[in-house]
Amino acid sequence: MTGGQLSGSAQPDKDPSVRQFVANGVSMQTSEVEAKLDEGNIQEAESALRDGLSLNFEEARALLGKLEYQRGNVEGALRVFDGIDLHAAIQRMQQSLGDKPTTTTTKKGRTRSELGSVVSQNATNLVLEAIYLKAKSLQKLGKLSEAAEECKSVLDAVEKIFPDGIPDVLVETKLQETVSHAVELLPELWKQAGHYTEAMAAYRRALLSQWNVDNDRCARIQKAFAVFLLYSGFDVSPPSLAAQVEGSYVPKNNLEEAILLLMIVMRKFCLGKAKWDPSVLEHLTFALSICSQTSVLAKQLEEVMPGAMHRIERWKAMALALNGAGQNNSAIELLRKSLHPHEEPDDIMSLLLAAKICSENVVFAAEGVKYAEKAIVNALESKPHLKGVGLRMLGLCLGKQAKNSSSDSERSRLQSEALKSLDSALALEPENSDLTFELGIQYAEHRNLDAAFRYAKQYLDATGGSMIRGWRLLALVLSAQQRISEAEVVTDAALDETSKWDQGPLLRMKAKLKVSQSLHKDAIETYRYLLALVQAQRKSCGALASAPQVEDGNANEYEVWHGLAKLYSILSHWKDAEVCLGKARTLKEYSPETLHTEGVMHEKQGRINEALAAYVNALLLEPKYVPCKILIGSVLSEMGPKMLPVSRTLLSDALRIEPTNYMAWYQLGIVHKVDGRIADAVDCFQAASILEESEPIESFSFIS
Amino acid sequence: MGDSPEKSGSGGKSRIKWGDPFTKGRAAVESLAAILRYFPPHLSSSETPATSLLHDPDVATQISTLLRRPDSGAVNDNLCAWLYDTFHSADPHLQLVVLRFLPLLAGVYLTRAALNKPLPGFESVLLAIYAHETAARGGAATTVSIPDLAHPSVYHENKSPPAKNASSDLNLAVITPGLEPHGTVRSTRRPKIVGVALELYYSRISLIPVGSKLDLCDFCRVWSGHDAERADGRRSRISLPWELMQPILRILGHCLFRPAKNYDLFQAAFAACQCMNARAQHDMNAKAMLATASLVRLAQMDMDPHSDVDHTELPITNEISV
Repeated sequence: MTGGQLSGSAQPDKDPSVRQFVANGVSMQTSEVEAKLDEGNIQEAESALRDGLSLNFEEARALLGKLEYQRGNVEGALRVFDGIDLHAAIQRMQQSLGDKPTTTTTKKGRTRSELGSVVSQNATNLVLEAIYLKAKSLQKLGKLSEAAEECKSVLDAVEKIFPDGIPDVLVETKLQETVSHAVELLPELWKQAGHYTEAMAAYRRALLSQWNVDNDRCARIQKAFAVFLLYSGFDVSPPSLAAQVEGSYVPKNNLEEAILLLMIVMRKFCLGKAKWDPSVLEHLTFALSICSQTSVLAKQLEEVMPGAMHRIERWKAMALALNGAGQNNSAIELLRKSLHPHEEPDDIMSLLLAAKICSENVVFAAEGVKYAEKAIVNALESKPHLKGVGLRMLGLCLGKQAKNSSSDSERSRLQSEALKSLDSALALEPENSDLTFELGIQYAEHRNLDAAFRYAKQYLDATGGSMIRGWRLLALVLSAQQRISEAEVVTDAALDETSKWDQGPLLRMKAKLKVSQSLHKDAIETYRYLLALVQAQRKSCGALASAPQVEDGNANEYEVWHGLAKLYSILSHWKDAEVCLGKARTLKEYSPETLHTEGVMHEKQGRINEALAAYVNALLLEPKYVPCKILIGSVLSEMGPKMLPVSRTLLSDALRIEPTNYMAWYQLGIVHKVDGRIADAVDCFQAASILEESEPIESFSFIS
Repeated sequence: MGDSPEKSGSGGKSRIKWGDPFTKGRAAVESLAAILRYFPPHLSSSETPATSLLHDPDVATQISTLLRRPDSGAVNDNLCAWLYDTFHSADPHLQLVVLRFLPLLAGVYLTRAALNKPLPGFESVLLAIYAHETAARGGAATTVSIPDLAHPSVYHENKSPPAKNASSDLNLAVITPGLEPHGTVRSTRRPKIVGVALELYYSRISLIPVGSKLDLCDFCRVWSGHDAERADGRRSRISLPWELMQPILRILGHCLFRPAKNYDLFQAAFAACQCMNARAQHDMNAKAMLATASLVRLAQMDMDPHSDVDHTELPITNEISV
């Protein structure tokens, strides 16, 4: 077959549905060449191409390889590519392209060189593309390391040819296309081959060198690298410091580098520079949640451009993120929006989360009850396994609501409903130890101490003693039962099971137990020990003090100083008490508790006006601060009959807020007695005495 | 932990003398052969005893059976003593063999610890791993400083110096608070000790055989208390405070999206994540809900056949040109 025949058949029609070769302004159908290849005559096929399209040897082979690759015959493609010395060709390209001195000089020279280099550019691309296809063919045959080496040689060649990076004028060309593909493929090949060090280097090379890769591709590579960093479990050394700008963020480990990359990709989405890919946000969500940085996640979610994410999905995710960061007020606002009748009022998870947030705040508790009730109804239809959660949230909200109710009957109704709800939840989820704990707390606050004791013990057993709050609940219930020595045994056992840093709340309890037994010396010793512990703790984690994860329920230095001040005040050691109170004030300038203690000290020393002033100031700071209401009431009741009504009002007010406060009942009894209402007085004293017998050494609400 | 050739088992049993890695490996193989009922003969002649131990399926099966026995983890448990001694060899390859069995050991331990059963055998191994990690970290907390794009970085397109308002401090996130040494497992520190051991496991996870990770996925389902396929699942539900949850979720993330995808492991981890997600919902634990829901959705995206676009493929055209 001669060249004339071939070119004759190739010239006229350029039917796009027929596979054909195109080069040097000539086109040619592939069918005949394919037939030769199928017969195994590579050389004949090659010479047919060379003659027909006026190509040199490498060009012809490269086109043949491309044809084989496109036909899906990767082994055939490799056979064709093997016939040419690609590396020698690269060297020639280097000379013809790289030696041109004019690429960056004058405007005129540059234009000429651009025109002149179009031909060699095409030739360069053909060769580079051939190597790239060789790499792809090897990949498809599972020869991954070899594939990676070939792919790497494409990038090495490009770096040699363009030592200053690929010129901008080449961005739209096929050469750039090949380079971009190779940049993306190389790390994937090393990764698939299990060569993780090389994969990491290839990712960094892809992202840190000037390849002029388009935004979508760059975002894909950044995401792929982030995924590699996040999940490979392969420890990557951080990027070198050489490339860093002063004041810049330098990732120190996999997690930091992954988060940085994902955030950068997210920013590209926001600016519309790259196509939205929902998986990026999911990876970022995972990474930030793992570091407990959900407040950062909330900000990221806020920045997602509209349209990429449904608004309700965004609100829900943000609400979770904010709740995870303790920003419950913002979280509940978003949930109210998404639970609006026009949005998704029946979404169970939103209802449950809203109920949970409301259950933690007296003001929202009634609203939470509605959410929880609705969640229970909806769970029955779609997610029966969440019914227990709904009942639990309902119980917690009712319990909280009871605390704020204005009448006794209302309160006891809410309390028993709360208990009923929690009981039903426990029946559905008997293994859920959190429920056992919450029942213990509810019964304790209800002063049903036998039941509280049962649940506290059950919780301690179910958790194998692993939760400090279980020990604390049991000790508090025992103290409320006035089984003080047993409470102390439990506290000591808990101290044994707890490491030093977590002993704060237990030591505080122990000190209070000592006080309640009038073992003041022991109490002072315990407080001193606690103080040393708290101070050591503050020093040891000084650098992390600003970290948002401060352990809950831990004793702080202020509390210790204040506890000591109260203790010295009981002992009438006024100077010591003053010193401790001063220390407490430096840590917390305005607090009703310190004003309270200050007032008590004045009162005990006969300075009634100063005492009253301190109590009133405490109420100005915290209008619902019960202890000072009681103290003012008590002081006023001794100021003659005119003041009795005021005193009575204050005490009733205190009892509305804290119906189980025995001191308030006792003082109210005194007011009744002075006023001559003996029967009322007796009732009050009785209530006071019963409540005093079930008074824990500190409030149950300290634990949860 | 130095190279000091010392340490006996918890019960003062036969001392293993340690030397170079090969001798250490041989010694570990020989002492294990005395514990297992059947010992693959080729192990005794292996040139790389530690690596052979790590990957041998017969050894794995037998050790698993022993760890699951109802009386395992007691004070006189030979296998626990072997694991303890082997970890103390200070040879990283042998330590990897011990870590390979951590999911199973921790799994059995945590499930039984709630029954207030003394398990000193298991605890000695966990404490050895915990002590190793405490020493390696110098007791310090592990932290991550969260980037803020106002600060430039190597990956920024625009490498200009930081903007004036970029002086804001970075968020410092504590992954694990500081570690203090523990000579015994105090019950309130149990989740932390196991959690720190799992963190060490995670840091070596790319070297650990798939079978070990499958064990962990399996226990996640049990621990969650939400495994639909397990009738007894409820009884084995354990408390999952964050110090335990966090390393578990990182391990599950690896099992799903590690570079060398393994179908069985992916499916197991997917099931485990679904159970953990259900658990997080029941606990109303926002962080865990977010993390597990993301893993579940990512796994679903991964299984979607349409997602598999190869962007490194050159466009196929009928015009094959220069």
